[in-house]
Amino acid sequence: MSLEGKTILLVEDNPDDVKLTLRAFKKANIANTIDVVHDGIEALDYLFARGAYSARAATPLPTLIILDLKLPKLDGLGVLKAIRADPRTRLVSVVILTSSKEDQDVVSGYALGANSYVRKPVDFAEFMEAARVLGIYWLMMNQALPEHAAK
Amino acid sequence: MRIGSKESLATAILLAAVGVIAAAVWWTNVEVEDARRQRREASELARAQTDLRLVTFEYVLNNHERARAQWYQVSRRLDELIAASRFSRVAEEEILVGVRDRRTQGRQIFDELVSVSADDRTVAPRAELNRRFEAQLLSRLFILQQDNLAATFRLSDLATERSTAAQRRLLVVSLLGLALIAMIAVAMSWLIRRDVLAPIARLQHAAQQVATGNWSYEFGKGGTDEIGQLTRDLGSMTQSLRDSLGQVERSNRELAALNTELKAFSYSVSHDLRAPLRSMDGFSLALLEDYGDKLGEEGKDFLRRIRAASQRMGRLIDDLLGLSRVTRAELRLQAVDLSALAREIAASFRSDPPGRSVRWEFEDKLSMRADRELMRIAMQNLLDNAWKFTGKTRDAVVRVGARMRDGRQVFFVADNGVGFDMAYTDRLFGAFQRLHHAEDFPGTGIGLAIVQRAIHRQGGKIWAEARPGEGATFFFTLGESEDEPRGQDNPAG
Repeated sequence: MSLEGKTILLVEDNPDDVKLTLRAFKKANIANTIDVVHDGIEALDYLFARGAYSARAATPLPTLIILDLKLPKLDGLGVLKAIRADPRTRLVSVVILTSSKEDQDVVSGYALGANSYVRKPVDFAEFMEAARVLGIYWLMMNQALPEHAAK
Repeated sequence: MRIGSKESLATAILLAAVGVIAAAVWWTNVEVEDARRQRREASELARAQTDLRLVTFEYVLNNHERARAQWYQVSRRLDELIAASRFSRVAEEEILVGVRDRRTQGRQIFDELVSVSADDRTVAPRAELNRRFEAQLLSRLFILQQDNLAATFRLSDLATERSTAAQRRLLVVSLLGLALIAMIAVAMSWLIRRDVLAPIARLQHAAQQVATGNWSYEFGKGGTDEIGQLTRDLGSMTQSLRDSLGQVERSNRELAALNTELKAFSYSVSHDLRAPLRSMDGFSLALLEDYGDKLGEEGKDFLRRIRAASQRMGRLIDDLLGLSRVTRAELRLQAVDLSALAREIAASFRSDPPGRSVRWEFEDKLSMRADRELMRIAMQNLLDNAWKFTGKTRDAVVRVGARMRDGRQVFFVADNGVGFDMAYTDRLFGAFQRLHHAEDFPGTGIGLAIVQRAIHRQGGKIWAEARPGEGATFFFTLGESEDEPRGQDNPAG
């Protein structure tokens, strides 16, 4: 199910959740490269090739960003706002994957331009199913924008 | 001085002024009447004296016996008149004394005249002497009579003067009284302006200020009169209103702070409490999947128990958040089609476990005015319940409908499931209250608490009727605000 060159960026601070999410993708046979960053600032550094990630300048942007909301330094909604505000990252698909289904989170997430909002279920079997559907839809079914349009 | 006292005083002065004028009128009337009587008496005296003069002349001219008798008759009448006349004043009395004196003298002179006339006139020298004496007597008599007539006219004049003076006095008293009444009217008008109208205008202004929300408006101390008292009362009323308003505002701020805290708490619960459960469940499953062969059956059972517990805890958290969401949700009342809503929810029940079938009987056109989201939550939980508790019933039937009871529409959700003992009905709607064992019918015990809160939020009531083994019916009404939610619904409880 892997597609060449399509990278996923996972923004997640909880190491357990990182591990479980990676396991869920693996179990769902999604073999894409998954880069993991652990807070909001690091996520933006990664995307805009700053600081520790300055070497990434020539690397293409990830096809999909999986974004947690509760993050250290800069929370998920702040990251989303910065992504949508910058012309370079404006059109990247962002899926919010988080614990809460509080109305305020869902509404703000969509209002700031999230492409999807998925709640992490406690039941890991359900979580794996969610990861599988997510991967199929955003990496295979969804027609991504041509490279040049994102520039 | 109080306004009432001022008003009483002014009324008393007014009444006194009117009384003085009335007394003056009455007294003047008496005076004028008396003066008129005196004048009448005086003119009768004058007429009698004129008559006397006439009979005197007649007697002198004719010297008849008849004239003499007439003279005494007239004279007697005159004396009677004088005796009957009532003149109370000193000046008049003196005049009357003079009149009486002259009358006595006149009578004596006339008697003498009569005796002189009776003398023999045949003797020439005596006749001459008598004639001269007679003339002398007559002359004196006429002078006396003239004087008396003049005195009588004087009496009449005095009476006229008295009457005139009385009328003049009446004029003066009336003018003074009217001036007094006019002054009191002006003073009262001024007092009403100063003590009533002006303070009322100030009060009106103050009331307007307060009505437009200026709660800190100072009413001032006010005077010692009734309006001053009213001003102070209004001031203290505004003060206590201001105090309770302040209290309400403080409570509102506290409630808002609590609400914010509750929101933050829910948010935190929603995010942070579920993460460890995910780890427990996820890694347990990972263990089962990757190392299951090394664990043996008992080890796998333990892991499955950990997973089940984690998931139960996850549902519990979700239900608690749902309960808190129902409490916090903003009400949006609109027309809701309960039949459609029930069908929609029923359609979402899958045959789980496989082969489960329930006959849904929904009455058509069940419409109500309610909050759609709260009704969805309530019906979801009620139908969940019905579905769950008919799980062991053959030919399960769940009915939704409405009946009129006491002029009010009562909706119901009825099932023919296991039911419950009515002895426990008090605990039915409490959070974490369960009437069945979790092994028989799983659940968190929060569902009916959520239903009750959703119904109460919409001003309704909910109750249940059931018999063990024969099913349960949940009744609810909407839009009766007179029934306050009971203790079970207390957010603090």
